[in-house]
Amino acid sequence: MVGAFDYAPAIVLLPFLSFLVALAGGKYLPKGGAFGGIAATAGSLLLSVWVFLTVSGGETHNDTLYTWVAGVSEETVSLELGLLLDPLSAMMLIIVSLVALLVHVFSLGYMNDEGETGLPRYYAGLGLFTASMLGFVVADNLLMAFMFFELVGLCSYLLIGFWFRQEGPPSAAKKAFLVTRFGDYFFLVGVVAVFATFGTAAFAGPDSFPHIAELAMPGGESPDGAVNTFGFDPRTWFTIVGLLVLGGVVGKSAQFPLHTWLPDAMEGPTPVSALIHAATMVAAGVYLVARMYGFYALSPTALAIIAFIGGFTALFAATMGVVKREIKQVLAYSTISQYGYMMLGLGAGGYVAATFHLMTHAFFKALLFLGAGSVIIAMHHNENMWDMGGLKEKMPVTYYTFLSGSLALAGIVPFAGFWSKDEVLYEALVHGLGGSTLLLGAYAMGLVAVFFTGFYTFRMVFLTFHGEPRTETARDPHGVRWNVKGPLVVLGVLAATAGLVNMTPVAEMLGMPGIELLHKWLAHGGIEMTTSEHYVTLLEEQADYHATHLSPLVPGLVSLGLALAGAGLAHVLYNVPSPERHTDKLGAIKTLWYNNYYQDELQVWLADGVVRPLARAADKFDQGVVDGVVDGVSSVSLFAGGRVRRIQTGIVSNYAALLTLGLTALVLVFGIMGGWFV
Amino acid sequence: MIIEALIAVTFVAALVVFVAPDEVAGRLAAALSVLPVLGSLYMWSSYDAAGNALTGGSVAFETMVPWLELGGYTLHWHVGVDGISMPLVVMTTILTSLAIFSAWTPIDDRQSQFYGLFLFMEANLLGVFMALDFFVWFIFWEAVLVPMYFLIGIWGGPRRKYAAIKFFVYTNIASLVMFIGFAALVFGLGDSVSSFDLPAISRALRGGELGSLYGVSAETLKAVAFVAMFLGFAVKVPIVPFHTWLPDAHVEAPTPASVVLAGVLLKMGTYALLRFNFTMMPDQATAFAVPIAAVAVLSVIYGAILALAQQDLKRIVAYSSVSSMGYVILGLIAYNTYGVGGATFQMIAHGLISGLMFMGVGVIYNTTHTRMVGDMSGMADRMPVTTGIFVAGAFGYMGLPLMAGFAGEFFIFKGAFASTVHASMPLFTAASMFGIVIVAGYLLFAMQRTLFGPFRLDTDYEVTTAALHETVPMFVLLLCIIALGVDPGLFFRMIQDAVNPLVGGGLP
Amino acid sequence: MVPPQWYLLLSAAVFCIGLFGILTRRNALLFLMSVELMLNAANINLVAFSVFWGNVTGQAFSLFTMALAAAEVAVGIGIILVLYRNFKDVDVTKATTMRW
Repeated sequence: MVGAFDYAPAIVLLPFLSFLVALAGGKYLPKGGAFGGIAATAGSLLLSVWVFLTVSGGETHNDTLYTWVAGVSEETVSLELGLLLDPLSAMMLIIVSLVALLVHVFSLGYMNDEGETGLPRYYAGLGLFTASMLGFVVADNLLMAFMFFELVGLCSYLLIGFWFRQEGPPSAAKKAFLVTRFGDYFFLVGVVAVFATFGTAAFAGPDSFPHIAELAMPGGESPDGAVNTFGFDPRTWFTIVGLLVLGGVVGKSAQFPLHTWLPDAMEGPTPVSALIHAATMVAAGVYLVARMYGFYALSPTALAIIAFIGGFTALFAATMGVVKREIKQVLAYSTISQYGYMMLGLGAGGYVAATFHLMTHAFFKALLFLGAGSVIIAMHHNENMWDMGGLKEKMPVTYYTFLSGSLALAGIVPFAGFWSKDEVLYEALVHGLGGSTLLLGAYAMGLVAVFFTGFYTFRMVFLTFHGEPRTETARDPHGVRWNVKGPLVVLGVLAATAGLVNMTPVAEMLGMPGIELLHKWLAHGGIEMTTSEHYVTLLEEQADYHATHLSPLVPGLVSLGLALAGAGLAHVLYNVPSPERHTDKLGAIKTLWYNNYYQDELQVWLADGVVRPLARAADKFDQGVVDGVVDGVSSVSLFAGGRVRRIQTGIVSNYAALLTLGLTALVLVFGIMGGWFV
Repeated sequence: MIIEALIAVTFVAALVVFVAPDEVAGRLAAALSVLPVLGSLYMWSSYDAAGNALTGGSVAFETMVPWLELGGYTLHWHVGVDGISMPLVVMTTILTSLAIFSAWTPIDDRQSQFYGLFLFMEANLLGVFMALDFFVWFIFWEAVLVPMYFLIGIWGGPRRKYAAIKFFVYTNIASLVMFIGFAALVFGLGDSVSSFDLPAISRALRGGELGSLYGVSAETLKAVAFVAMFLGFAVKVPIVPFHTWLPDAHVEAPTPASVVLAGVLLKMGTYALLRFNFTMMPDQATAFAVPIAAVAVLSVIYGAILALAQQDLKRIVAYSSVSSMGYVILGLIAYNTYGVGGATFQMIAHGLISGLMFMGVGVIYNTTHTRMVGDMSGMADRMPVTTGIFVAGAFGYMGLPLMAGFAGEFFIFKGAFASTVHASMPLFTAASMFGIVIVAGYLLFAMQRTLFGPFRLDTDYEVTTAALHETVPMFVLLLCIIALGVDPGLFFRMIQDAVNPLVGGGLP
Repeated sequence: MVPPQWYLLLSAAVFCIGLFGILTRRNALLFLMSVELMLNAANINLVAFSVFWGNVTGQAFSLFTMALAAAEVAVGIGIILVLYRNFKDVDVTKATTMRW
């Protein structure tokens, strides 16, 4: 019987097809190929839903689709591309294809209606972006994941640099690719290390590398030396490999210290920002950790590092978001911060919590970006919040949906973000109290960040929509059409309700475990060894993670209280007819935050102050010394030739004399050698 | 006989073009250059050999007839292809043909001589890759230098004489060093082979039949010969620190010559390294594993850092070739299927991609008459198609998956990391892999400054769209690159087949 | 019969006279004559050994040498004429334009 899994490759191929169509014939198509993209992503969405339903029926799929490189001899490993369809990827497929579809529709309003040129290029990029991300999601092995990871990077480059005629976007695109490339370097080392260690890179199944690693741990079923650990003990080596792969995650998911590309990436069109932040590129990193969680669960060190990077990034980025002027900049830092929470959740042993936050964040962040896009259309592409104000009455649909997203972002009950963020923090707390005390530090940072999140989110809302209009454009904003409002409404509803699928605290309180749908979804029906249940066992056995039993109510109330405090402060300071720049009172700290802790300056200095002089010095060395030796050899021989030719005097008698002398010398030499004179 | 036909057709084509009038030479050469492409594709499709030609595997399209007797040594006309040379032959014909198309615009004087020399070079290149007798091989090997010398010296840039002489003398001296090394081996083998037949010599050397020569023990002789041949080929590859002829030659050479220089001529060095050093003397190669891996890493990183400092687009691509060739060396020393096979694959991949990059630079130069990064900006606005292909090629160079460069590099990394020749190989591999970051750095910087941003051009030329005969060859190359990236098995299957005997039988 | 040593001595003497002439004379004509002497020294050897061994090859060679010498004189005189025309002299040390 032909089922959903047989059509699953089409989920990836449809957007790819739209890429080809837009690239080749976008010029001749109405709307620059937009409809092809919409149809393709809609098709992907339908197929994803079908796959989702099939997976919820308990079926999974883990099979090779295409042998990329076939080993000729028995010993040679074949490199394959395949599909892994399990609860995690089925869920992610829906998120990605849904957000991609909405972004395509929104683009009709943001790009087509605004009369942009180069639309075929834009829609081709969107199509390829979607296809790459979907390919990444269904990847059944680490190599395939890496390949699509890189393609995602390419698409981000193309789309961030969409407005290539200006100075800023190409530079931002370059930075995005280069910084993530730096992370991908470690990822690639990790990939070859995984191949060298396990001889396979499959994610799931009995021959998958997380499983082989699990068996090879001390006390595992495999004999010592079953895998090549390069002279390290297995745990150390797996930690090293895990951290190498993590390099790619840190780059793509914009974690400290490789987060700097993301705010710059705001130079791209806003729908692209929505796609990058919500569902594709940035999500790829976190998704990768979740995908190979069975491997990370073996190494408490790697988990602790993940948790700390996450917690620190959450706080670090939130502080910077407090002082930004542009609406998209605030959202950019909130994205970094939110992905920090996901990393914190993964590192703290909250696999389900992090996945949950990945899902809710995809909805509310896509919503916020599209809402910001709507505002930007209205403001004639002015992004400065201080030029806005009072847009609430002029654009109610945008306002209410944006508010829904903001409430979710700030983590106010009962919006989506509350449930997921709360659960992440809860997991960090219970595992921290359960013996892994290091996690408490990460938890504390995450908790403080909640306050900042509440504050900057509502500062943004109040500055943008409340108070008096502060400029002419804000008094008379440009209207938006259905193609902008439609996606906003869909996402607004999701941002408000998506959290209800996994109300852990409520379940705990009411004693109704049945309503934690996501927990059930990830715990059962998956492929053996990749279920969240198995991960919990692994965490306990290998990483020594134990959860204290604690009611989720109190921690939930604490974080809610902090979020409300932040939002309340913003209300007091900014929800007035003409707000002042209160952050100026922070003085030096504001300057520090506004300049992103001088991270960009540091990286620019690394590029211009270190690498460039080094390259110039190397060039001097090469031209002077290495090439100098070559030229020196030629000069020496030219000089020697110039001297020796002086014997060519032009006087015949001299030549005759030389001949005679030569002959005599030869006779003498032969004579002495031959013993004629003895 | 098809090999003889292929080489002969190319030689005849060269002669015909040489005497043809200038007005038709370009078109005639392009038309005739399609013949070898068809021939090589036919060979590729009907390729039926198995194993490595030098270790007793079967050889496709083999001819072996005694040719000369020379001092007790029989010289054979011995040609044939195996899984290592077949892809290189296909790449050579395709790249040369496309380069000839791309030469129509920039070459505007003495066309018939230019295209005649070009085809003459192609014939010799084919000979290098298909010869299986040292004598025959060496004639072709040296004869390649002559047309390239003239191509640079006559049609080159302002410092063409310096560059041409440097190229010729440097590589020729290297050939001498290599020749002495190889001759010592042949004389050391003495009566057990008494010919210059490469398969026979290879089998004898691998079988340990080398005797002492003039009181030098077989081991010392092998080590010395290995070093001499390695140095000789290192110049050709080029491996740092023997690379300085390359940027000069590239900068001065006319673009079509650059395409073939980077695409095919550099591969002669790595091909010879694989055929001679790494096939015939695996024990010495593994004994020298650490220094060889070290120069490979040095080539990758140092070449890439030098590329960062360049302002001339052609110099950037030239130095990046040094970097890419370093990967090939790393793959060769890994001594496993993915390492050596990946190195061979990377030769093809780099040939196609660097060819594409040079063509792209050439098209930009033809319209703007400058190659300096600082002289232009925002070219994408005026040349969208060229920019598109150039960006695609640049990402191919950076190792974008599903393009040939990624396949080659990944195979090499995978092989080298898992290599057992020395415990330090994973470290060398990880160090050399950092090249993928630097390559992204200089290409992205160069593209940002030349192709994007507001349009500006500091030379007094009207920017026009590129002609079809300029963009179509680039597009064809791009398609080849993507095809090989999506299905590396097109070549990698036969490469593996030819490489496996080396890595299986060559190591203890 | 005259022993071959005498011929060798004679030939060596003639050769040395020719050599001396080449090294010391500056007049091109004398130069040419000295060369002639050296060639004939070789001829003496050839003929002497030919007779000594009873083999005519040497004599045949001496005939070749004479023909060669005649041709050489013809060319040599021609060169000397050109030399005189260009330098108004037949002094070989004056014509030094063919040098580095």
